[in-house]
Amino acid sequence: MNNQPTIDINEEKELKKAKRNKYLKNLLPLFGFIGIVAVFSVLTGGKIIDPSNISLMLSQVYVLMIASMGVFMIMTVGGLDFSQGSILGLSSIIFCWVSNYSIPLGILAAVAGGAAMGAFNGFFHVKFKIASFIVTICTMYFFRGLCKYITTNGPVSASFDVIMLDETWLKVAITAGVLFIGFVLWHYTRLGCDLRAIGAGETAARFSGCRPDLTKFLVYTASGAITGFASFVNVIKVGSITGTAGSQLETQILITLVLGGMPISGGARARFSNIIIGTLTYCVLDKSLPMVFPVSATQQLVNGIIFLIVVTLTIDHESLRVIK
Amino acid sequence: MSDIILRSEKLNKHFGITHAVKDVSLEFEKGEIHGLIGENGSGKSTFCSMLCGIYSISSGRFVLDGKELKVKSQVEANRCGVSIIVQEMGTLPGLTVAENIFLGEEEKFMHGIIKDTSAMNREAQKLLDSYGFNRISAKQMIDNYSFEDRKLVEIVKATYFNPKIVVVDETTTALSQAGREELFKVMNRIRAGGNTVIFISHDLDEVIEHTDRISVLRDGELVDTVQSRQVTADDLKRMMVGRELDNRYYRTDYGDSVPDEVVMDVKDVTVPGQISDISFKLHKSEILGIGGLSECGMHEVGKAVFGASYGRKGSVILGDGYAVKNIPGAIRHSIAYASKDRDNESIVIADSIRDNVCLPSLDDLSKQSKVKGTLKDKILNLFADKHAVNMSVKMTGIAQYVSDLSGGNKQKVVLARWIGKNSNILVLDSPTRGIDVKVKADIYALMSDLKKQGKSIIMISEELQELLGMSDRILIMKDGKISGEFKRDPKLGEKDLIAKMV
Repeated sequence: MNNQPTIDINEEKELKKAKRNKYLKNLLPLFGFIGIVAVFSVLTGGKIIDPSNISLMLSQVYVLMIASMGVFMIMTVGGLDFSQGSILGLSSIIFCWVSNYSIPLGILAAVAGGAAMGAFNGFFHVKFKIASFIVTICTMYFFRGLCKYITTNGPVSASFDVIMLDETWLKVAITAGVLFIGFVLWHYTRLGCDLRAIGAGETAARFSGCRPDLTKFLVYTASGAITGFASFVNVIKVGSITGTAGSQLETQILITLVLGGMPISGGARARFSNIIIGTLTYCVLDKSLPMVFPVSATQQLVNGIIFLIVVTLTIDHESLRVIK
Repeated sequence: MSDIILRSEKLNKHFGITHAVKDVSLEFEKGEIHGLIGENGSGKSTFCSMLCGIYSISSGRFVLDGKELKVKSQVEANRCGVSIIVQEMGTLPGLTVAENIFLGEEEKFMHGIIKDTSAMNREAQKLLDSYGFNRISAKQMIDNYSFEDRKLVEIVKATYFNPKIVVVDETTTALSQAGREELFKVMNRIRAGGNTVIFISHDLDEVIEHTDRISVLRDGELVDTVQSRQVTADDLKRMMVGRELDNRYYRTDYGDSVPDEVVMDVKDVTVPGQISDISFKLHKSEILGIGGLSECGMHEVGKAVFGASYGRKGSVILGDGYAVKNIPGAIRHSIAYASKDRDNESIVIADSIRDNVCLPSLDDLSKQSKVKGTLKDKILNLFADKHAVNMSVKMTGIAQYVSDLSGGNKQKVVLARWIGKNSNILVLDSPTRGIDVKVKADIYALMSDLKKQGKSIIMISEELQELLGMSDRILIMKDGKISGEFKRDPKLGEKDLIAKMV
């Protein structure tokens, strides 16, 4: 077994080209981000990169980025989650209640509540083999219903001390901390390998020693817990929670990850950077579109077109092919 | 000189960086069975895929009956009189047998917008009966039939309309002896009808026996076309590899005894509907062969001892006293498993070679980092590269996706991961299925080496020669039970094994 494959010069050239293409493809979301910033800087006459606008944009980044991390894991194993917004709303309410006794205890309660809701999703998805988007669409309505029921008599307010925490440095630190922990877990433990393998081929992953069912259940639970934690940051920003708190978050997350280059079907091409680039791109788009297109109908139209362009550019065209 | 029905002229195919078929000019005669052989990646399947419109042609052309053949899909190819029976599954689940047979030809049974299902079923049943496959019912869902029966349905589907060219691509690897005989009967009938069969197989004896002429491809190029009656398997091997193979194809040692130390004790293992009361002991440095017909349950035995079966009863106790219950436990206690269903169970197709090689060893690799329990990319890359290169996987690099590799190279990746894991017990289900002679020889040599290192191997195989040539002991199974046991012996022959199989 020592015959090295012979590679002629022509092949070597092609090889380099293939590697370069792959490299470029990985960078595409980054170019997309830079492109969008450039285009809208011109269209808005520089208003978009104005410091006051940047801080406004950032205020939207935190919750989205933290919550995206959980869904990133879910999408890597090949699932989807449409209940994130409702989970954020409900765990925000839990946090508000408990924050009146103690803020740290409130955070713990919100995380535990989010985890329980995520576990609920995971349990139905794994145990009864129901497709994840169906389970989470059902729980989206279920959790949202609870939210609205609780807030029937008016919004739920957090303790006044919470609003005092509304400092940019704190929110940046929290978001960076969560991202750092996620990054370390993704790159320096078997989490990344396991999730990618399960997303790429569940049966084969099982035969390689992964535990797909348990892992999926835990991923949903963890994702709920992460969103539960994000509810803390959410409440800092808004102070009191209404029945519609957090709605649309699920679609925002989905768009964010796809803008960041995340393959819709998950699997081996998921990259941690998808979360960061995706969130930033989304927030730039979301803030600059109203400046360029003041009518909200056109905004949605342009939003849809841009989304479609990005998906078309980043989607994996390489079908599975076998050379014999 | 007979009539030429099909000609390829200077045919080429590029897959990105791979030049899979190079300037192949070939002629096929009317009424012949033409063998097409070559190692994995030699381009034979690619050649046929271009013929059948599955792949586009990079340059060159096919000429069928004096006219250039230009097809974009299998259905178009069928209409031009070219059909193919493929290596892997070619039937669609969720449809009936009849719907599968007449896929793409439904108009025949349409009255306006209404499909005459009963006429379709009748027609399909008539076809099945005419092939002698009476036990298959046209009305049944295809899913109710075994892999083998589905293959037979595919044979009907590909040949009932009397095509001029039928490509049989690696079909025999999926079939048991009885199924193969059925296929050969059909092939002979096609030839008798004045049409042509292109037969691709890795089983050289089979090719010599059942073809008129054989063309050999190597690295995408045509080496030669020879008369089947004038060559031996060894001649063909030489032509395929381009050099002399050493004679250590199978093991040549006989009479050495295996140590008494038991490394795996399987007791009364039952998997409902699959196997019942299987008991055997595996010894240190032993190659234990398990054979039988493809539906005899032997493939489930491999899964059962690896802890992968659902609803298993009985016990699998290892030398260290551990009782295997699930896959992670089995891997931790040094069991490796390579499935017959390579693409779905052995490796994660849509993932990199690196991740595939590292996956079972992640826990071990995390102990090698400076910070215990964490993984470092550098360590993973080195590990994957070392074992992939050791197995001489033909790849552009460990970042390449397994889906880009040929069958033999995929199997090398499977072996690389378990060699990397340094497992002591290897359960190899059909390790050489659909793999060419050279890689086959590599795998046999590797098995002998592993045996010398004191590792134990369970080899489940439908190839009797392989069982006889490699095993210290052979268990034969029939209807989910062990029906016979044989010690390694030069006098032992295929007939002895077959007697216990049927």
